Amino acid sequence: MAELEQQLTSLGAELNWPPTPNLAPVVRSRITTPVVLRTPWYQSRWAVAAAALVIASAALVAYQPSREAIASWVNVHVFFQKVHVLPTPSPQPPGPLGKRLGLGGRTTLADAQKQVTWQITVPSYLGQPDEVYLQLPPAGPSKGEVTLVYSVRPGIPITGETGVTVLVTEARGAVDKNFFGKMLGPDTTVEPVTVAGHQGYWIAGAPHEFFFTDVDGNFRNETMRLATNTLLLDLGGTVVRIEGNLTKAQALQIAAS
Amino acid sequence: MEGRPEDDSELFTRAQRGDTAAYEEIVRSYQQVAFRTAYMITGSAAEAEDAAQDGFMKAYRALDRFRPGAPPRPWLLRIVANEARNRVRSTQRRHGLELRLADGFRPGDAAPSPEAVSVAAEDTRRLLEVVNALGEEDRLVITSRYFLELSGDETAAALGIPEGTVKSRLSRALARLRTKLEEAARG
Repeated sequence: MAELEQQLTSLGAELNWPPTPNLAPVVRSRITTPVVLRTPWYQSRWAVAAAALVIASAALVAYQPSREAIASWVNVHVFFQKVHVLPTPSPQPPGPLGKRLGLGGRTTLADAQKQVTWQITVPSYLGQPDEVYLQLPPAGPSKGEVTLVYSVRPGIPITGETGVTVLVTEARGAVDKNFFGKMLGPDTTVEPVTVAGHQGYWIAGAPHEFFFTDVDGNFRNETMRLATNTLLLDLGGTVVRIEGNLTKAQALQIAAS
Repeated sequence: MEGRPEDDSELFTRAQRGDTAAYEEIVRSYQQVAFRTAYMITGSAAEAEDAAQDGFMKAYRALDRFRPGAPPRPWLLRIVANEARNRVRSTQRRHGLELRLADGFRPGDAAPSPEAVSVAAEDTRRLLEVVNALGEEDRLVITSRYFLELSGDETAAALGIPEGTVKSRLSRALARLRTKLEEAARG
């Protein structure tokens, strides 16, 4: 080792670092404390009451309630909004898939990875995606949104809403401060699931609208289309949606791969 | 400061099965390097504490993605450092990191004379002064490699850059440090 490098190493031993806090018991306590924020909406009296308010509000204001205000009443990270009538999505513009579904610009997995801060999850069950899209601000969430497109996969029918078999969409959402949610019609069911320790929800039945708040508190929703069956997972602050004409078993298998 | 690899491997396996005591042990083993890495990035002890704590929480939730037998330090440092960088970005605020010598610092226990001790002390102070005055990119890579004694892959994880970039960045940083030391010596 050169002399300068030796001097630097010696200097390192002489530095005055702030005292290291004892994080171990705090982290364990946080792990073992039940996370109230993740209580499914129908298990929380407050949320059920708020959902009733949502329905009432929706009726009063022609299904245009202030979702941010509602989220603050409920104060839950995952929030499901039950409404009688879903908003009608705007007609899809003509053109290639990315433009039609508002997925952003077409790119490669490697390029997308360079531009986002999280590790993009690629389910090995589906293999390498056929197309990759990246939506950046201001059109996309503040940290970007990556969509993996799987055109055709054996055993999974093509979805009418998207024209492909599976879409895997990933974006950063803040675990502690913000929320993501689904606007569900009366024929949509929601079921909490756990995939390899990650909590999530299986939303099936009639199409639904998806919305969430990104890490900077910006409200995001899908206006281009309604979503079909979806497995929604929170992987350490990355909101992952696996969407398609999937059975629950298929979706769980994809998520676990 | 840190557990032996075989202990780590067993602890990670137990933690992946949901043993929270094992994960507490992992946090205890790595909290110092995690906290100091976060401090290097945020320049604030309070922000570093929050970033390290949240980073360990995120790592716990991502334990299923940790490959048993893999070295845990780069994996943990990447998560904690990302958390620290996100905090800096989201608050739009970075406290200027200025490293200081420990109280009671007296270098050169093996120095042959009081005069030699004094010269060594002055050299050390000047070296730190020059390091502190380097650009952020240079300072981060030098702090990672020499002050935190991170390996190449750990430095890459902490700085969020490829390992090859660590080598070239370190080489440039050392060259600039040498130049500035020579300038300082000439007065």
